[in-house]
Amino acid sequence: MVEAAALTRTPLASQAEAILRVRGLSKTFGGTRALQRLDLDIDVAEIHALIGHNGSGKSTFIKTLAGYVHPDPGGEIWVDGESLASVGGHRQHDLLRFVHQDLGLVHQLSATDNIALRGSFLRRRTGRVDWRKQEALTRSMLATFDVHLDVRRPLGEATPVERTIVAIAGALQGWDVSHGLLVLDEPTAVLPPGEVDRLLEIVRRLRSRGISVLYVSHRLEEVLDLADRVTVLRNGEKVTTCDVAGLTKADLVALMLGPDAPSQTGFTSPRAASWEPGLEARNVSGRYLREAEIAIGRGEIVGVAGLPGSGREEIPYLLAGALPGGTGSIRVGGSGTWSDLRRARHPDIAFVPGDRGTEGVIKEMSIGENLSLSILDELSSFGLLSRRTERRAVDRWLSELTVTRTDSSARIDDLSGGNQQKVLIGRSLARRPSVLLLSEPTAGVDVGARAAIYDLIARRAADGTSVLVSSSDIADLLAVCHRVVVLRDGRPVGELAGSRLSEHALVRAMEGVHESEAAYEGAPQ
Amino acid sequence: MTGQEVSTAAAGSPPWNAWLRRAGQAVTFRRIGAVYVLVLISIGFSFWAPDTFPTYATVKQVLDGNAVIALAALALIVPLSTGVFDISSVYTMSLSGVLTAYIVIHTDLPLGVAIAAALGASALVGVVNGIVVVTMRIESLIGTLATGSLIQAFITLVTKDQSLNSARLVGTFAKLAGGDIGGFNYPVFYALGVALVLWLVLEHAVVGRRLYATGFNKDAARLAGIHTARLQFASLVVSATLAGAAGIVLASSIGAGSPTAGSPYLLSSFAAVFLGATQFKEGRFNAWGTLLAVTVLGVGTTGLGLAGAAPWTGSMFTGVVLITALAVTGVQRRSGVAARRWRLVGRRATASADPPRDGPRDRGEGAALDIELDLRSDDLLNERA
Repeated sequence: MVEAAALTRTPLASQAEAILRVRGLSKTFGGTRALQRLDLDIDVAEIHALIGHNGSGKSTFIKTLAGYVHPDPGGEIWVDGESLASVGGHRQHDLLRFVHQDLGLVHQLSATDNIALRGSFLRRRTGRVDWRKQEALTRSMLATFDVHLDVRRPLGEATPVERTIVAIAGALQGWDVSHGLLVLDEPTAVLPPGEVDRLLEIVRRLRSRGISVLYVSHRLEEVLDLADRVTVLRNGEKVTTCDVAGLTKADLVALMLGPDAPSQTGFTSPRAASWEPGLEARNVSGRYLREAEIAIGRGEIVGVAGLPGSGREEIPYLLAGALPGGTGSIRVGGSGTWSDLRRARHPDIAFVPGDRGTEGVIKEMSIGENLSLSILDELSSFGLLSRRTERRAVDRWLSELTVTRTDSSARIDDLSGGNQQKVLIGRSLARRPSVLLLSEPTAGVDVGARAAIYDLIARRAADGTSVLVSSSDIADLLAVCHRVVVLRDGRPVGELAGSRLSEHALVRAMEGVHESEAAYEGAPQ
Repeated sequence: MTGQEVSTAAAGSPPWNAWLRRAGQAVTFRRIGAVYVLVLISIGFSFWAPDTFPTYATVKQVLDGNAVIALAALALIVPLSTGVFDISSVYTMSLSGVLTAYIVIHTDLPLGVAIAAALGASALVGVVNGIVVVTMRIESLIGTLATGSLIQAFITLVTKDQSLNSARLVGTFAKLAGGDIGGFNYPVFYALGVALVLWLVLEHAVVGRRLYATGFNKDAARLAGIHTARLQFASLVVSATLAGAAGIVLASSIGAGSPTAGSPYLLSSFAAVFLGATQFKEGRFNAWGTLLAVTVLGVGTTGLGLAGAAPWTGSMFTGVVLITALAVTGVQRRSGVAARRWRLVGRRATASADPPRDGPRDRGEGAALDIELDLRSDDLLNERA
């Protein structure tokens, strides 16, 4: 295994071979050090993985390389022996190419257009674009990656992995010699499981052409499968750079998270004495999720964890009936008929969407108007709104939600993110739902407001509300959930509760680390 | 703790303080700029045309002459509030005018039946618009432009592009628009009545709040449990019906069923309703703002006419006022957003490390830290998505 890895890349000879050399790179924001004296070498024709959890500094590093972020003085970056800092104004080096997570493609335009927009259009002497040559060029570029799509059709019709490859081809154009560093930032995050292998094959092929790849990913199995070496960041510091050969996923998790803190589960809210069904859902399917069964008891707070693409993001939207393609059926309160998710939302279910800015807050409206939106009927008689009743209800909610600003006629975007989120949760709770679905409840929320939101959720659950929390932030799940369901590739693969619920256990389950200490109860594989 | 703040605030300051502050905010230039403009141009025209402008006749001319524009503009408020354009409404005006005139001329049915038939036909147009825009999900601006063309085609086909004229249109039918109360023609009062109803619905009824929520952020409104599609559909039916009513009044005032009577109102009605949205309720389409806008534009064009200015100055006045109004309020809104962003930045940047501070912060603090927010939020996105 070790030999195989050594064979596939050019010898790790002198440091002059390094396509990228980073020495003492730091970045400080305000008081926090996002990156601390990072040293890193990437060899020619090496696939170098970069892993680390939220806030580890990987994004800061990528942004520094891309020139979006200016590093603190003192650090140095050399690309192919040429110092980046010495290049005035910190322009992007030509041997550094990036494919960012969102790919930066225009889906309405064709592959030809998308690639040409990043490079240049071939023109005839008259100045007109020579479409025939341009299309032939695009075809030949894509053919090197074994992608054969109609280069005139809108990219939106291509498969996700084909789009990713188009983005890679677009990023690489103009390199005459196969020499340089391609940074792939989470390229597989949104790819369906079956298409990932195709992309990995492409990355290997780039390496065999002599191109170096900095591969940023959450998915440890890809890292183990693909990379020659891996650099692990934690809290802005480099933990280690080491050969991948011989490592296991459990090793990587341990490196990423550091020593396992025995119990980070601060949540002590008692569970209901007996489990009574609150929300039941069956055969729930979406884009990623496959026929999932969900049961949440009355007064129970269930978390959902999973990597991007695991179906974790979808669940609350599906259960709220807010995703057009979703199927499945749902029942509230343990009895009565099952209702189809494609129909209108169940009236007893409240939903707080994950993207506060575009799906939650109505920024043109006041705090009070945002809050009372869900309970307008209760505040009115004969269709006419009673301003006084409304103000009273709003004030009561604002104090219950501990929103610091009490002038409910102020516009909602005068509030901080945390307080906006409280108002949105209040909007949902005001209807006194028996089920509360939360997506990313603390995204962009400060520490104090986080605690307040956890407290709010716990109090509601104590009153008998069934709560589902889907979050990419493990701290949320540890802080507030009675149990956490872990999803992988659209299926539940385990469940953690009580003393077994810890950051390490969750990440291991999300990454699919199978070990004796990580055996889950009732894991339907 | 928050509850205490409320009670101390209520007990600590006398109620008229809050009232005065609110009143002070209500009369700022940004809120009711058009009122100041109205006063200024009235004074200006009084000096420019001292013999003709500052007279009762001018007041009557402005109000009577612009009542139909007001009705046409009011019809647009409801769909625009839900974020939907209704370009076809002026063609619906022509349609209902022609239809009413036809029934009055060619049948002995009572006028009420003619009006009901015209309003019914208009509502039907609204249903078609709803199907096109809401059910078929065609962009409203284009969809209603298309239905408008179809309506015009239908009218031209049926009327052979001839105006319907008859002595029978002179009697009771002419009274609809020609009658007066205290010297002002009925249409002025129709407009006031429609505005009153719209004001009640939009400001004081539950449905109004939902209409605005739909227009501001459809996704958020839908996720909050509002039936956004239903509201948009209904708003198109309402606008078509109101446009139909405006068309009847228009036909009555010109004493004919003209196949192209409505189309000249397209630009002026949209101008008025957008100018109106900058007044009183910054950014919300509203009835009183629209009436104010119609009045300002009417006084301007009438005054220019009385002062003997060249004919093109009237249109120029409308254009200048509209751009100025939208620019002034729009720019302020944009800078408002930027200022808020600064403040949020200040808060969020320290958020993860420091104890929570949610009170308002000054901008300078945020300015120093903006990069951090950018990075953090991007970080979040990257790590998450």
